[in-house]
Amino acid sequence: MPVIDWEPMETVFYLSSAIALVSTAMVISRIHAMHAALYLIVSLLAAAVVMFSVGAPFTGALEIIVYAGAIMVLMVFVIMLLNVNREKKNPERKWLRPTAWLGPGMLSFLLLGLLGLLLTEKHSGNVGQGEVEVKQVAASIFGIYLIGVELASMLLMAGVVGAFHLGLKKREPISTE
Amino acid sequence: MDCLWLVPVFPFLGFVILVGLGGKIANRIARWVGPLAVFGSMLVGLGVVFEYLSHPPQSGVFRQYVFQWIHVAGFRSNMALYLDALSLVMIFVITLVGFLIHLFAAEYMRAERDLGRFFAAMNLFVGCMLVLVLADDFLFLYLGWEGVGLCSYLLIGFWYHEPENVIAARKAFVVTRIGDTAMAVGLFLIYANLQTLNIQSAVQSAVQLWPVGSNLALLVALLLLGGALGKSAQIPLHTWLPDAMAGPTPVSALIHAATMVTAGFYLIARTHGLFELAPVALNAVAWLGASGLLVGGVCALAQKDIKRVLAYSTMSQVGTMFLALGVGAYSAAVFHFMTHAFFKALLFLAAGVVIAAVQHEQDMSKMGGLRKQMPLVFWCFLIGAGSLAALPWLTAGFYSKEMILWEIWSSENGGLIVWLFGLMGAFLTGLYTFRMVFLVFFGSPKTAAKSREKTAIKIPLLFLAGLSMVAGFVEIPATMGHGPWLSTFLHRVFDQPVHKHAGSLSEEWLVQIAATTVSLAGVILAYWLYARRRIRQYGGLSPGWKTSWQRAAESGLGFDAFYQKVVCRPFVGLANRIRRDWLDAMILSVVSMIKIIHKLFSLTQTGKLRHYVMALMLGAVMALTAVVLF
Amino acid sequence: MSSVPLEHGLWLSAGLFVLGFLGVMIRRNMIFVIMSLEIMLHAAGLAFVMASMRWQQPDGQVMFVFVLAVAAAEAAVALALLMRLFGRSGSLDTDTVGK
Repeated sequence: MPVIDWEPMETVFYLSSAIALVSTAMVISRIHAMHAALYLIVSLLAAAVVMFSVGAPFTGALEIIVYAGAIMVLMVFVIMLLNVNREKKNPERKWLRPTAWLGPGMLSFLLLGLLGLLLTEKHSGNVGQGEVEVKQVAASIFGIYLIGVELASMLLMAGVVGAFHLGLKKREPISTE
Repeated sequence: MDCLWLVPVFPFLGFVILVGLGGKIANRIARWVGPLAVFGSMLVGLGVVFEYLSHPPQSGVFRQYVFQWIHVAGFRSNMALYLDALSLVMIFVITLVGFLIHLFAAEYMRAERDLGRFFAAMNLFVGCMLVLVLADDFLFLYLGWEGVGLCSYLLIGFWYHEPENVIAARKAFVVTRIGDTAMAVGLFLIYANLQTLNIQSAVQSAVQLWPVGSNLALLVALLLLGGALGKSAQIPLHTWLPDAMAGPTPVSALIHAATMVTAGFYLIARTHGLFELAPVALNAVAWLGASGLLVGGVCALAQKDIKRVLAYSTMSQVGTMFLALGVGAYSAAVFHFMTHAFFKALLFLAAGVVIAAVQHEQDMSKMGGLRKQMPLVFWCFLIGAGSLAALPWLTAGFYSKEMILWEIWSSENGGLIVWLFGLMGAFLTGLYTFRMVFLVFFGSPKTAAKSREKTAIKIPLLFLAGLSMVAGFVEIPATMGHGPWLSTFLHRVFDQPVHKHAGSLSEEWLVQIAATTVSLAGVILAYWLYARRRIRQYGGLSPGWKTSWQRAAESGLGFDAFYQKVVCRPFVGLANRIRRDWLDAMILSVVSMIKIIHKLFSLTQTGKLRHYVMALMLGAVMALTAVVLF
Repeated sequence: MSSVPLEHGLWLSAGLFVLGFLGVMIRRNMIFVIMSLEIMLHAAGLAFVMASMRWQQPDGQVMFVFVLAVAAAEAAVALALLMRLFGRSGSLDTDTVGK
């Protein structure tokens, strides 16, 4: 409609960034860990949409698959495994007093302000003027950044071995109270 | 006589060998090296004596230049040796007695560890003492002076594992140091005014430049006297001598009887020309000597420890020497020095044998009746004691004491009062000496004695006993045939007429009879009090009689307590009070500030992860702020 | 196409990062701390992507892949450690667990 002059991609961008921010704020302020995990998943999905909107489809897809699909699932599993009891021994209410937010909140605000100030010094250019295709990314990964890929795989292997070793139930049983 | 330099060098060589070879080897060879070094010194010394007597040098003086020591901007000090009759007598006595004592010590201290250290210090001592008496230069003399002080400290504190020995050594060092400082100031004054430190030149130019009775001469003489008082343990610097008996007995014999305590006497004799320019100082010498004589005698009377009796006796006898010097009887003083060295060393060595025999018990009340068990030691001790008490005709001490008393009476510097003091001193000497003899050797035995007299112990004892008898014959008074050989020998040193016969012969007879009677009276009183079974009260003069006087005499007539109260306590109190001064506070405040800062920083170590993260954030914020603002 | 200024993208990233940091600072529960760390990593990766889209180069996306790998490994190991710690002490409180 010619009255409203708006670009769809921009709108999507701003909307999903708002969702991401709000849901992240919810993540850190929840009492139950499960709620926080779900809010985090929402935040990740919103971020994926943001990436789609600026023209990085590969990254967006990757985010959904790996970040929201693997890492968050892992966290959800762990939360369920640990099974911290709902109301009886949940100390979060006690820990999350409003006064606890005061100092760190101020500091974070300060930091945000500073970062923002630094970022608006110069107009650097525009995003989302084109799309970077998967092919380009793939060519780059298996071309110039091959060694990075190898290192990342080694890192992952180290992670796997470490996690496996740490997870072995040898002597001490995990108390599930 | 060109070998004169070997006389002090042999002991130094012994010292270097023993120190350089280190502990274990030195301990094994020290028993040989130590006495051998002094033996070599004695041989050369005797050779020098013979040569001097047979071919005396032209002016009576032999000088030997050894080494240029300091030559700085017009100040020149050489290590040179000056040999005249006085130093000849001194080196004769020092090397002879020194060798005998080393021989004794090699056997007596046989079972000690650290023999290397012992003989090294003994050798160093003999070397320094020889340097002292042979020095041509005041600075060289001061070197020897300080050296003997050091060795005294080392040897008194030989058994340093016992704290009281260390305290005694320190006390000796500090008290003599006071005297040494006075002497050093005196030397500064001499150099400042006379531009030379050569002894002879200084004294001669002083005689020319300074009028008799001038204040400068008085000051210098008094300062030198201060040094002499410290080293010779005269009043007021005498408190270290009784405590110095904490050292081994050969040390007491060598240092504190025969040689070091006579260093002061030698100094005054050597610079007598200077002292004659200040009659007040000379008087002071005489009166201090007289008071030393009496104080030493009184205190010796009340002592329980045999070595302390001998220590006070030494103080008393050196006081006699000072007394003689003070009235101008220089040759008499030298004579008495020689005889005193012989009989006092003998007494100390014999006492050492006694102490070792009664299992290191030094308290005389626990000894008794030893004359049957140790006859040789008894006779040697008796000869020494007789010489000390100046028993007539057969003892060397008799002749020297007679000469002194006669000189006091007859010289113009002496006088009746001083003579009476001398007489009183003779009485006390007889009394305390034979008190010692009767307590130790007579009566019923209280401790079993096992005597083990080896040859090396017997020879020095016998030799010294012999000398204590015959050494007096070098100077026979006019009343018994006239044989002034010693004073003739010394006359050139002291510028005195060959034959000083100021009084008449009958006067001299009277003086001699008075002195002899007085000494014998002391001996008889001692016999009556201590040998008879009836009044066998050791220590006190008679039971329950004025025990407070007894205690006072035993503790040295309160000098120690006085010094403690007047000097030591205020000094220590002052040191404690200024311990925390402002400079200290400034430096300490740095320390406390650092401690406070540390406490503050420790607060940040909470152990909580969140706090650390917050700190990180804070740092990041600050850094970014800095970037943004600047 | 659309012209969103780069700054806005970076602002998004900064905001997410600060929120994650806030979570790390405030929360005592270990799970929340781990989640906040993930948020921070994610925000950094987002910044990379934004920057790369400004220049139309694929390099930022490659970096994002690496960041992803790091985050995954880190999450795995952190959660394993969390399980161990929980088993040993029975509580998830970061303040009291480190004895």
